Amino acid sequence: MRLAYWMYEGTAHHGVGRIANSMRGVHAVFHAPQGDDYVNPIFTMLERTPSFPHMTTSVVSGRDLAQGTIHLPETLRQVEARFHPDLIVVCASCSTILLQEDLQRTAASAEIQTEVLVYNANPYRMQEISAAEGLFTLLTQRYARPQALTAQPSVNLIGPASLGFHVRSDLIALRRMLATLGVAVNVVAPWGAALSDLERLPAAWVNIAPYRELGLGAAQFLEQQFGTPTIYTAPIGVVPTQRWLEHLVTLLNEVGARNRGPVLTMPKLTAFSLDGMSAPSGVPWFARTADMDSFSRKRVFAFGDATHTVGVIKFLRDELGMEIAGAGTYLAHQADWVREQLAGYLHDELLVTDQFQEVARRIEQDIPDLVCGTQMERHSCRKLDVPCLVVAPPTHIENHLLGYYPFLGFEGADVIADRVYTTTKLGLEKHLIDLFGDAGLEYKNQVASSSDDAQMTDAEYGAETATQHLPDSGVTAGELVWSPEAQAMLKKVPFFVRRRAQHNTEKFALERGHTIITPDVLRAAKEQVGG
Amino acid sequence: MPAQSTPIVLREDSAYHSFCGLTCVGWLYQKIKDSFFLVLGTHTCAHLLQNVLGVMVFARPRFGVALMEEADLSRPQPDLSHLIAEIKTDHHPSVIFLLSSCTPEVMKVEFEGLASRLSTPELPVLFVPASGLDYTFSQAEDSVLQALLPFCPQAPAEDKRIVFLGSVNDMIADEFTAEAEQLGLPVGGFLPASHFTALPAIGPGTVVAPLQPYLAKVANRLARERGATVLASLFPFGPDGTRAFWEDLAALFGKQVDLQDREAAAWERLAEHTTLLRGKKVFFTADNLMELPLARFLRNAGSEIVECSSPYINRRFHARELAALEGVPIVEQPNFDRQLRDIAKYKPDLVISTMGTTNPLLGQGVVAKWSTEFAFMPIHGWTGVATLAGMFTQSLKRHSHLAALDDPVWTAGFMPSVG
Repeated sequence: MRLAYWMYEGTAHHGVGRIANSMRGVHAVFHAPQGDDYVNPIFTMLERTPSFPHMTTSVVSGRDLAQGTIHLPETLRQVEARFHPDLIVVCASCSTILLQEDLQRTAASAEIQTEVLVYNANPYRMQEISAAEGLFTLLTQRYARPQALTAQPSVNLIGPASLGFHVRSDLIALRRMLATLGVAVNVVAPWGAALSDLERLPAAWVNIAPYRELGLGAAQFLEQQFGTPTIYTAPIGVVPTQRWLEHLVTLLNEVGARNRGPVLTMPKLTAFSLDGMSAPSGVPWFARTADMDSFSRKRVFAFGDATHTVGVIKFLRDELGMEIAGAGTYLAHQADWVREQLAGYLHDELLVTDQFQEVARRIEQDIPDLVCGTQMERHSCRKLDVPCLVVAPPTHIENHLLGYYPFLGFEGADVIADRVYTTTKLGLEKHLIDLFGDAGLEYKNQVASSSDDAQMTDAEYGAETATQHLPDSGVTAGELVWSPEAQAMLKKVPFFVRRRAQHNTEKFALERGHTIITPDVLRAAKEQVGG
Repeated sequence: MPAQSTPIVLREDSAYHSFCGLTCVGWLYQKIKDSFFLVLGTHTCAHLLQNVLGVMVFARPRFGVALMEEADLSRPQPDLSHLIAEIKTDHHPSVIFLLSSCTPEVMKVEFEGLASRLSTPELPVLFVPASGLDYTFSQAEDSVLQALLPFCPQAPAEDKRIVFLGSVNDMIADEFTAEAEQLGLPVGGFLPASHFTALPAIGPGTVVAPLQPYLAKVANRLARERGATVLASLFPFGPDGTRAFWEDLAALFGKQVDLQDREAAAWERLAEHTTLLRGKKVFFTADNLMELPLARFLRNAGSEIVECSSPYINRRFHARELAALEGVPIVEQPNFDRQLRDIAKYKPDLVISTMGTTNPLLGQGVVAKWSTEFAFMPIHGWTGVATLAGMFTQSLKRHSHLAALDDPVWTAGFMPSVG
């Protein structure tokens, strides 16, 4: 048993809720104590749903357990009367699953017209992502029907779901590229799909399943069962997007050749831009401009789900020319795939953990120039004064903004590059600060309080924490003592890099068996490890 | 106390939306500054806490979940000793509250014994029943205070002082202390105090003055076990409630205090708000257990209460509030489905509703406001009246300023499953 403060993934029933809240006519019923209803506000608050999410908790109370009462049949009747769904998915909670009730029989006793699926999502064996993926695969297997292909080239977009990371913008990016190619969207699922749409899935010429976490099983099933070719890669970055488009055109033309369909040609790349006449992405030129030179020395650590970690690492190295300090994922079941994808990109082991403290420790040891992570890494990085941008779920209210911020496609490449640029400390500006000190930033020295904290910008926060992080002279850091002179000297190191200088010096001193860090030790360390 | 006629309280099937008792951790760990709240629970509990309490914004939350995983399900009595050691090293608390949750309750974990085995004189580990099987939202504060009860020193019978009951922030606590002193009423302290080590003495002379309406059980135990007198009045919300609270409290000390002018002056200051509230139909769907006094304040401010529902109503502890709501439909453990039909039927001007239901209600064109917010705002006493009134009128004003959202196009695409 361990002490948990925060989790990357939600629970199994949250995963079920994500599918239900994505689909038309599907309603989830949680056979659970009232508290399990907390997943409902996650949807209504983060996605600001203007209607009630398709999920209902069939409340189990202590008194019900004592008296052997079960409200599930009554809840099913209420849900049928109020929501008129096509399908009700019932699942147990972490507590009610221990009761080993026959929910199938109980649900049948409700005698409703609506189809009821009891989904066996064991919360001790699966979490949010496996539960969502498992349910969506199951629904696809249940409802997809053999049928003729559409007359015109078409694709399914498989995997976008409620509470997905930047999912609305990614869908727009995908739709825009398909429209430019002249390819119709047959079905998007689970996002916005009804069961009748799942039935129509096999009519598409090609499946697009960009997310490793959701839609993979469904696409594999469609490929095996109906022979629908599938593109499993995520078009993250400019070159991957070009390859993705070419792959798509090739697959569609292969299908077209067999079915005497039209032959697609790749339009001019400018056709993919927002105005139809510019570069589809600014990244290739941007990366070659002078001030981006300094990016070759910038080291990035990335941590997140599988799709985004892999996509972002490749993009940062291949297209922005940054150095990869390391990567990790909280999805243990995807770790092998991530390792395989990032072969040649990583100098050390992929970090696989669902404990954020381990990730924070790794960042603290390394002090990279940029961290790409989840909201939790962003939080850890604030404390460490390391620039961080959020590239992966779990989503946070700040990932549900109103503007168009895709991560996929050409426009996604622009969005990621812009965020990397504005998040990291810049080139020339940084040289000046490195040379001459602190640019006045560190004298702000605000008084920290939890209420001010929320209003502080990252820059202010950085200035403040950098000052706080100075080791007190005479105070031990591990087994080490900083002499007042060395401490004063460290203070002259620009605050952007001071943490790393401190860490490197302490590491150097420990290795050499020093117990007191004097200016000489500091100088020697600087010479040895370059500050 | 004069006999009150008690209005009929309907009870439905509990099919409403709210949070479980674990949410009380959110304010109590901040209130009791030398505490740690340890939930024996599952991934679900951890996911709940991080979503509801926004854990990430705090650097070192003094609460965590002893995470039960599959292998732990076969052990009837979990071993938490290494976690207690970890908490001790990392957080140095004076007290650890061990909260139950649904899974160990279903497994019939024997919590009292577990807590007492982990407890040492230096670091007590106190069992707090809080599971969603039995406790809603703020209700679990009652359990926390009951756990603290044995650590309140015994006050001698001649020590006749007030102990205010219920967690309020330091500013409000100071205000109540100052107000009592002004009225010549001696204050013994607050339960909970800001520190475990500073709990108030309670004895037969103590007058317990409940500040929060969700503490019926601990109030009852203070009377039964310590012989304390529990003030039976309105809760100190709004000019009406605050006046009754202080007058009745003074009366328990043999002092006759007339706060009529003070109440009138407070209403006068609220004129801008009461103008807006007068005649407005307000509906409470049930969530924070503060519904009865909030509805009573609004009724006295001139609103019409269409329905006042609450997760838990105690006919004795809430007697005065219930009496003040005579004629208002009051429902305990309501059915949200039925409430939605009634909202459609009676078209209230304002619905006070839960975090999960407010945006969807707004999407239907109903002006709705989070009930959760009331649990975190300084709305007590004389200084809280403007904040309290403002919380209701803010929504009304805001929505009257914004253009009506009468074209569904403005919500198109926000929800994949609809539209």
